[in-house]
Amino acid sequence: MRQAGTYSSMLAGGMSGRTGPHSLPLARIKRIMKQSSEEVKMISGEAPIIFSKACELFIEELARRAWAAALRGKRRTLLREDVAAAIANTDLFDFLLHVVQNK
Amino acid sequence: MPIANVIRIMCCVLSAHAKIADDAKEISQECMSEYISFITSEANERCQRKKRKIVTPEDVLWAMNKLGFNDYIEPLTLLLHRYRELEGDHRSSIRSEPLQLIKHCSTPASFHP
Repeated sequence: MRQAGTYSSMLAGGMSGRTGPHSLPLARIKRIMKQSSEEVKMISGEAPIIFSKACELFIEELARRAWAAALRGKRRTLLREDVAAAIANTDLFDFLLHVVQNK
Repeated sequence: MPIANVIRIMCCVLSAHAKIADDAKEISQECMSEYISFITSEANERCQRKKRKIVTPEDVLWAMNKLGFNDYIEPLTLLLHRYRELEGDHRSSIRSEPLQLIKHCSTPASFHP
């Protein structure tokens, strides 16, 4: 509870006690972390907080690149193929290739 | 991961008139989960190599740097430091005697029982 208070107040820029508008749920992040591998046993309480911000940065980058693909296609609607193009065109996102190829 | 959060983040970087197809939202949500798994696996390997049991933020940052997400390191490190400072202030205010607490706090309203 105390941890959530520090986290939420930090992101909200105040002491409202509510999570900020872009903060991702820590419990959900922690669950995904544990599901990544059976070998992941214990996770520091601070690790999901880092991931919350990292995921924001990651989605922002993915969205920007996908949007660039949409604009090249002269569209204002972001499609799944734009996300796929962003992944294909970015070496950093090679780990996501199987995510778009499996569908 | 709640898709509403993913959509909100995406909308912030797109133009005001942009729309996002449902399957684009879903695939982005999957990508985010995959990102967490990808980094966590590497962080966990480092944790195990060092014979520790708890995956720390330092393991996560190390993994991000190794896997190419170097640009994220600085803002995340700042966030971690700020969190630890705030958490340290919070803990010291709780553990302090009331007299000491008054000295640390700027206003009585900031007291946390």
